[in-house]
Amino acid sequence: MAQGEIIAGFLAPHPPHLVYGENPPQNEPKSQGGWEQLRWAYERARAALDAMKPDVLLVHSPHWITSVGHHFLGVRQLSGRSVDPIFPNLFRYDFSLEVDVELAEACAEAGRRAGLVTKMMRNPNFRVDYGTITTLHMIRPQWDIPVVGISANNTPYYLNTKEGLAEMDLLGRATREAIAKTGRRAVLLASNTLSHWHFHEEPAIPEDMSKEHPQNMAGYQWDMRMIELMRKGRMREVFKLLPQFIEEAFAEIKSGAFTWMHAAMAYPELAAELFGYGTVIGTGNAVMLWDLRAAGQSLLGGPAAQSDPRGRLVG
Amino acid sequence: MPLVSAFLVPGNPLPKLKPEVSGLGRLNAAMQRAGRALAASRPDVVLLYSTQWLAVLDQQWLTRRHSTGLHVDDNWYEFGDLPYDIHVDSDLAHACVLGSPRIGIHARGVNYDGFPIDSGTIAAASLMGIGCRERPLVVASNNLYHDADVTLRLAAMAADCAEEQGKRVAVVGVGGLSGTLFRTEIDLRADRIATADDDQWNQRVLRLMESGDVRELKRVIPEFAAAARADMGFKHFYWILGALKARLVGARVHGYGPIYGSGAAVVEFTL
Repeated sequence: MAQGEIIAGFLAPHPPHLVYGENPPQNEPKSQGGWEQLRWAYERARAALDAMKPDVLLVHSPHWITSVGHHFLGVRQLSGRSVDPIFPNLFRYDFSLEVDVELAEACAEAGRRAGLVTKMMRNPNFRVDYGTITTLHMIRPQWDIPVVGISANNTPYYLNTKEGLAEMDLLGRATREAIAKTGRRAVLLASNTLSHWHFHEEPAIPEDMSKEHPQNMAGYQWDMRMIELMRKGRMREVFKLLPQFIEEAFAEIKSGAFTWMHAAMAYPELAAELFGYGTVIGTGNAVMLWDLRAAGQSLLGGPAAQSDPRGRLVG
Repeated sequence: MPLVSAFLVPGNPLPKLKPEVSGLGRLNAAMQRAGRALAASRPDVVLLYSTQWLAVLDQQWLTRRHSTGLHVDDNWYEFGDLPYDIHVDSDLAHACVLGSPRIGIHARGVNYDGFPIDSGTIAAASLMGIGCRERPLVVASNNLYHDADVTLRLAAMAADCAEEQGKRVAVVGVGGLSGTLFRTEIDLRADRIATADDDQWNQRVLRLMESGDVRELKRVIPEFAAAARADMGFKHFYWILGALKARLVGARVHGYGPIYGSGAAVVEFTL
């Protein structure tokens, strides 16, 4: 078996507007474009991913919300039409994807051993959430790489940020262990927006970019502060600030994908590459890459880093 | 009076999916009894609000005349599928879309094939025999930024629109009582209300409904919502109150019990 490898992690947000703006054949609604800077950011991310040649993409989505444990797609082929419940006018997408069930099961098993409740989703009629689909489309529109889809357990909202993100940390560590055990060359996708203050009404023409800007200044400033730290590789500071960022910018990162991804990567103090930033209906979105392979940190030989992420989370 | 009956029912699909579990079976039977009472009131349309149809942008109203499909719940997929065949009173739904701005609420209709109708709406429609051709629905979303007062005003506006169209109306609020779910897998046969405090809160609220004490209900619900994590702040009850214009004189509890630790009740209100 090949040595397991986490090649990279992407911050890969999922506004369905990006799919709508691109006009792929799978999406029924058609647009006049829009959100180009974010879509061009994803073009660069696509090129970077293409060069990595991973075996599998793992995506953690805040729009598959589960209350009893952390769930994993567990059906080899899933297809259907995904209609966004919030933006059904923009996103009615025919999807078809292949799941790496063996790796998903390994993640679930490792999670159980770590003390988490985990479940495999085996219903073949299950409709995959639009967050998972949007992130996967934007990063790899060819749909030719198997995926592992992971739900967002609602603990950060149901209990509190600290306990919730501590669970996501365990989930990330379990994911790392499973990738090592199965010998996969994996890329991780954190499907999260940054600041999440948004407008409450949509323009008459959704892609009218003259109406698009940050919903508020504080959210924008928080996004810039966090992105700058990420670009400099000051991830300890990022995680120290994370609870305050979540609180003050209403950051969607609270749902756990970002923590899950960095825990799986063993919290590298590694500079991220920013492909682009833009707002969608006022929310802040950044497409970013932590390239572990380029940094010589991708191969999984030993245990996860001996850092104390829970300590970071609480500052 | 165009409003002929009113009901509060749970939105968790487990009573529909697992009726062989005795507690869930009792709630299933209670919802069917409530459905028969609703049918006996001979409404032309059912105004339904489900806490599980989440919206953040505008007030959404289901305007699609006929929706069919197969829904799988995000959490309870292992217990089977939820087929649906739902008819909507599209004329009234469009009137609600147009009427919403008159009370200061931006609204839009939802008319898309494959739109993910929520588990609560589907379970209630299926078990109560509503959303059929004879008893079409008007379904309103739960905008997370709307409070109890906005929900109340939306329901009152919908009831007024129905009255303008000369229609007899039933109203259904779909959602739970106390909202604490068990966080680990349980044997459904050993289900119980998560805490004794939650149970006491639920029973207190149900007694107030039975006594028709609207003033006291309005006073305690915010406390109930905070102390017992009432489902979405108990906004589905305000939906009922809004349609009734607070003319509630009593209630009959057809069923009460746990669903994975949370509180669930089937209540028929006396008008």
